[in-house]
Amino acid sequence: MKHTSRNAWIQLAILVALGGAVILTLILPQLSDRQAADPPLELSVVVRESDSSLWSNARLGMEQAAGELLAELRFLVLTTSNDSQEQMDLLRRECERGADALVVVPAAPEELSQNLRDLTGQCPVICLESQVEGTALTVAPDNRALGQALARALLEDWTGGAVLLLNTAPESEGVLARLDAAKEVLEQAGVPVQCRQARAEGMMAVLDGLVRESETGWIMAFEPAATQGAARAKEEQDLKQPLYGVSVTTDVAAWLERGTVTAAAAWSDYAAGYLAVESAVRTARKERVEMEPLPFSVVRGEDIYDPDNQKLLFPVAP
Amino acid sequence: MRAFFKGFVGKVADRYRKMSIQMVISLSFTAVAVVGMVFMGLSLYLRFYTTAETLAEDNSQRVLAQVNLNLERYLHRMMRISDTMYYRVIKNTDLAEGTFIDGMELLYEENRDSLVSIAVFDKQGGSVSAVPLAGLKTSAAPQTSGWFQSAMAKMENLHFSTPHIQNIFDDPDYRYRWVVSLSRYVQLTRDGVTESGVLLVDMSFSGIEQVCQGVELANGGYLYLIDSGGELIYHPRQQLIYAGLLEENNLQAAGYRDGTCREKFQGQMRQVTVKTVGYTGWKLVGVVPAEELGATSRQTFLFGLALLLFSVFLMAFLNFRISAHISDPIRRLEQAVKELEAGTENVEIEEGGCYEIQRLGHSIRSMVSTLHHLMDDIIQQEGQKRRSELEVLQSQINPHFLYNTLDSVIWMTEAGRYDEAIQMVTSLARLFRISLSRGKRIIPLADELEHARHYMTIQQIRFKNKFTTQISAEPGTEGLYTLKLIVQPILENAIYHGMAAAEDDGLITVTARREGETLLIEVADNGMGMRPEVAASLLDEDRPDVRTTGSGIGVRNVHRRIQLTFGAQYGLTILSEPDEGTTVQIRLPALDETGLALYEREVMG
Repeated sequence: MKHTSRNAWIQLAILVALGGAVILTLILPQLSDRQAADPPLELSVVVRESDSSLWSNARLGMEQAAGELLAELRFLVLTTSNDSQEQMDLLRRECERGADALVVVPAAPEELSQNLRDLTGQCPVICLESQVEGTALTVAPDNRALGQALARALLEDWTGGAVLLLNTAPESEGVLARLDAAKEVLEQAGVPVQCRQARAEGMMAVLDGLVRESETGWIMAFEPAATQGAARAKEEQDLKQPLYGVSVTTDVAAWLERGTVTAAAAWSDYAAGYLAVESAVRTARKERVEMEPLPFSVVRGEDIYDPDNQKLLFPVAP
Repeated sequence: MRAFFKGFVGKVADRYRKMSIQMVISLSFTAVAVVGMVFMGLSLYLRFYTTAETLAEDNSQRVLAQVNLNLERYLHRMMRISDTMYYRVIKNTDLAEGTFIDGMELLYEENRDSLVSIAVFDKQGGSVSAVPLAGLKTSAAPQTSGWFQSAMAKMENLHFSTPHIQNIFDDPDYRYRWVVSLSRYVQLTRDGVTESGVLLVDMSFSGIEQVCQGVELANGGYLYLIDSGGELIYHPRQQLIYAGLLEENNLQAAGYRDGTCREKFQGQMRQVTVKTVGYTGWKLVGVVPAEELGATSRQTFLFGLALLLFSVFLMAFLNFRISAHISDPIRRLEQAVKELEAGTENVEIEEGGCYEIQRLGHSIRSMVSTLHHLMDDIIQQEGQKRRSELEVLQSQINPHFLYNTLDSVIWMTEAGRYDEAIQMVTSLARLFRISLSRGKRIIPLADELEHARHYMTIQQIRFKNKFTTQISAEPGTEGLYTLKLIVQPILENAIYHGMAAAEDDGLITVTARREGETLLIEVADNGMGMRPEVAASLLDEDRPDVRTTGSGIGVRNVHRRIQLTFGAQYGLTILSEPDEGTTVQIRLPALDETGLALYEREVMG
């Protein structure tokens, strides 16, 4: 009798548990709706330039990703390009303000990596362009391969004379990797190479002098701002040296078309921006993220209207 | 397989045979209910799933029809611009006398929100007129463009291109704009002579984008626009596709007919609805993830599963309770019958439960009652029968012995042996008095031994003291009782068979002693004895009765009486050897006064 009574209680307990499961499954959708209604993640994007138009395509990608993944973006530029101290201060301020993740185009990767350690514990940091030790992920093309490809494009046209390599971001590991790789390829091909440091913003003032001083017949720039500055200076000063650069901005497309820039290594900034924000959101949500190097291609002026290059160079998004 | 099936069926049948009625009812009802519920659940699930699919399909078709309407309106507007330009401006203008520019500018200004440029080219690709940018790039070669070649190839049609950057006009601001080109073959008039040309109307891509964007289908679905070759015109994530971060099944979708179908793309089932945009051959494609359709969502599945489990368990629980309620009276009835089988008396037979079980209980109760009565009757009849038999056996003593004794008294009286005659008569009287014992069948051992003594007194007188007799009872036998007249027949046998050849040296001893719960009376003689097998056969029931001299009562009668009275474990044992004598052991229960009373109450009723 006692045994029967215990069985009855066990049966009742199972019944209640199953009834609870039914109710739980009924209210699960409401619970998930409530979860979905959580406030969006706040992401801060800090670039290393003072001109945000250089990152307009990337920004489009970032906004698309933010829209899809329920995140809010704050896009911040520096008052002076490549001012690592200001960038660090901005990052610290954003972190203290409660940003869920940071996306940064580092001005000085090494310096940043030293200062980032106390930040990375608070919120994940995703890097664009240059790899920085201590950050969660880096979204960038294979910088060495990019430098090599650009140098090979120059070699196809090379008819003699030294090549001026513009080192406009000596602290940026990514930019330096491109420059070093290009230099290696050119030197291996027996092309004389002259490396000169210059600021991208001051290119208008110094490019002519640098070309004369180094007696070079070819110019290579390894970052968008430097390519833009060099192209502008070349047109202004009517320099004849072919220019090889890096960028995907509409300006560079125009210079490519006009022949001011002979060839440009380009990747989809839109994709880079999208992936950076997507990675930042997923990292902030403690999800597993793996990153492949961004694909790139070297576009010559005559090829910019090739359908694939149109898709690469000119964003469709409004 | 067959053997396995047979084995399985056998096991089930075996289990079934061992199952209680409650379990059988409970399991059967639960199984039937579960089958019913699963069937109903599946039917509802399929119905729900089909309805959800149909709803999603209807929704997609409705949305696509609306977008198609908007897109056709937009495209018709562009076509009207093209028509206006051709029929109102180009046809009415002789290039030798004027230009198209005023009409073109007017049209452009009226529609600048959706137009990028309007241009007319001669058949070599040379610019005739263009707004808002008049000049062509030096590198421009319109005649190599797809839109130009399409227009020249199919002169009667209007041609819509896929989105592209318009690269022929020399824009001082170097703006690169995505356009969809609408081109057509036109006839230009120059100095009264008609010549071939191409009219180009570049629609802003954003116009198409505005029509298509923000459209949401059920369950997170979306739509995209492709041309007849599958080339993407609009996609909500177009730039991601262009950047290689995303793929779309646009090339395959180009082969779909209008309507709804299902496709599997990148491991995901999708419901695809296609609607062809009139005239252009473009296709609007609506995509709804099939896994997201209500019935297959995780929550729905979990809800269904939990509900099914709950229902099954509730059914099992209720069935168990109900079957217990039904089967409990049967179980109690079975328990009562088991107790009856085990011999328990006064078993309460319940008449509970439903009608049939009440009737069954009532029948069993009646049957048991009848059985008890029958058994009582049988016992009573058996008792009477046994008593009658005993009385018959006992009554066999009297006539022969009385006759012989009285005959002896007669000849002793005639011979003047009055003392001996008196002694014999006295012993006979005493013998009969004990024999009668007021009708009792069980008398004190002392009386039985006295009875034996008197009997031997009579027999010694008759046999002229050819033998002597010793009768004794050992301590411990006082107060014990015995079946009456059981020693005398043994003595009679000893005299007639054992002492027949004796010559004053015969000895017959009667001893009584107690061995535990057994009273043992031994009658021994030193007569001629017999072979053991003969001795053993004396008690054999199958042996024919042989009437001999003496009282006529054999040891078998005594043996049978004892066994009838006390059971098979009691009775006689005869031990004998030729020329050594015979010993007859009489085993009886050691009954004292209390034991006797108990016995009489049990046996005699």
